[in-house]
Order: sequence, then structure tokens, then C-alpha cells
Amino acid sequence: MRDAARDPAALEPLERLRVQRSRLADRMRPPWWYLPGVAIVWALFFAGPFSSRSFSSPAAVSTWAIVIPAGAVCFLLQWGLVRATGIKVGPRPLRVLQDGLFYYRPGRPAGIAMAVVSIAGLGSEASLIRHGLPVVAIVVAALAVAAQVAAQEVLLRAIRQDLRGGGGAA
Amino acid sequence: MTVTAKPDPLIHPITRLSICGLLAAGADWVEFAALRDAAGISDSVLSKQSRVLEDAGYVEVRKGAVGRRPRTWFRLTAEGRQAVEGHLAWLAQLEEAVSAGARDARQARPLPDERAQPRRVLPPLLGSS
Repeated sequence: MRDAARDPAALEPLERLRVQRSRLADRMRPPWWYLPGVAIVWALFFAGPFSSRSFSSPAAVSTWAIVIPAGAVCFLLQWGLVRATGIKVGPRPLRVLQDGLFYYRPGRPAGIAMAVVSIAGLGSEASLIRHGLPVVAIVVAALAVAAQVAAQEVLLRAIRQDLRGGGGAA
Repeated sequence: MTVTAKPDPLIHPITRLSICGLLAAGADWVEFAALRDAAGISDSVLSKQSRVLEDAGYVEVRKGAVGRRPRTWFRLTAEGRQAVEGHLAWLAQLEEAVSAGARDARQARPLPDERAQPRRVLPPLLGSS
């Protein structure tokens, strides 16, 4: 191999790889049905406190009637997203070791926000239902669903950013 | 600046580097069409080069079908990931070495603009004394 360190052409593969990774990241855009589907999953999730377990009303439904459709829609959404994009991104570690230093993945704040909204949303709903304020509980659930959909969008953007940056590999 | 990392001869060809570099980008599995489009190569080139990488144990291939359409998925093996990371580290060091070399060359032989700058500043100072 000739003295590659003095040859600017040696950098071409790295530059080309950056462009190709950018192209791959651009494929990770969800189809039109993905975010409405995510909204349905979260709507079912936040409908939990309205189940017969904590909401003693004739209109209340069993918890399983909420959990099973939510699980099924969630599975279908992930399967459809993988099929549509051609990219499967599995569960990822919260932090990655690179150059001897740990760094957090770009989607971490969105992941934390989703967990906080889930816990706070369910807690507030249960409390409002107990105090006889089901309408306010529905409003809280709707806001929580909107927040989760926004966080999901941020999470997808973070995955694209991660793919563009090489996901920790140089 | 010295380059300490070693290149991997199997990944060095540009097409194989593209395939491995894309698979190392953070996705678990990448489908044939997605990899082909991102790499900007033809079906036959991807098939041929992925076979070489699979035989070397760098890439795992999973074949399936959706309806009647066959689907092929690729992912890096642990060995492949290690090799790609090493090769990319070598390229990154090379990039740094080239930039440092260019910087040194510029300092040793300043560009016409840089040489002209002191002259523009000096005459008024000399004239005032």
C-alpha cells in the first residue's frame, strides 16, 4: 500500500460512507399510518384507568379488553415499520462506550420523557377518576397521548441521527 | 501523526466497505433493497460481495419471504463488527493524518494571501518612524 497518509484520495471511502449512511437514515421515515397507529396504542394504554378494575361504571370494560388490542396493534406497527423501511432497529443500550468514554444515545431524553408521561398520566387519571372527575381524566389522557406521539417522533428522529452518525462505529 | 490501526484487506474494497459500514451504522438487520439503495450498487454486486462477506464470517444472511416475494436480510456478526470498527478506526486516523499533513504543508509554504498580509500592515509602521 502506498503512503496513504499523504494521499487525499484515501479519504474518499469515508466521505462516501457518510453519504451512504445518510441515505440509509433517510429510509427510516415512518409511513403515514405509523404515528396514527402509535396514537391508538397510547390511547388504549391511557384507557387503562377506565377499566372495570378502577372505574366502577356499567360502561367500564375488562383490563384485558384493553391490553390485548394494544399489544396486537403495537406488534403490527413494529412489523409494518420494519417491512416498510427495510431496517430493523432492536432494543439498544442506553449508553455506548466510544474512544474510552461513555456517551448517551440521542434518543435518551425522549425515552425518559415517555416513561415520565406514562407514569404521571396513569397516576393523574386514576386520581381524577377517584375524585369523580372522569371528564378531566379524559382530557389528561388526550394530552398524554399527544405527548407520547410527539416523543415517539423525536425517538425516530434520534434513530435516524444515530444511523447517520454510525451508531457508535466511527 | 502516525496511523496505528490496521486496515482489513477483506473490507478494504469500496463496495464491501460500504456494505459493512452501513450494517455497522446501528441497525440490527437491513433488508436487501434498503442496503442496495443506500450503497448505490446493483443487485448482482450486492449478492456477490455479500456472499464473500458471509463466507468470511463477517455477515449473517437470513432469507425469508413475504407472500411470494423473497426477502433477504443482512446483519454483521460479532467478528464482522470488530473488523469494521478496526478498519473505520484506521480510516479515521488516516483522515486525521491527511488533515495534519495539509496543515503542516500550508505552514511550511504559506499561501500567497498569507504572505501578502504582513506587507499590507508593515508600510504604514515603517513610514511613521
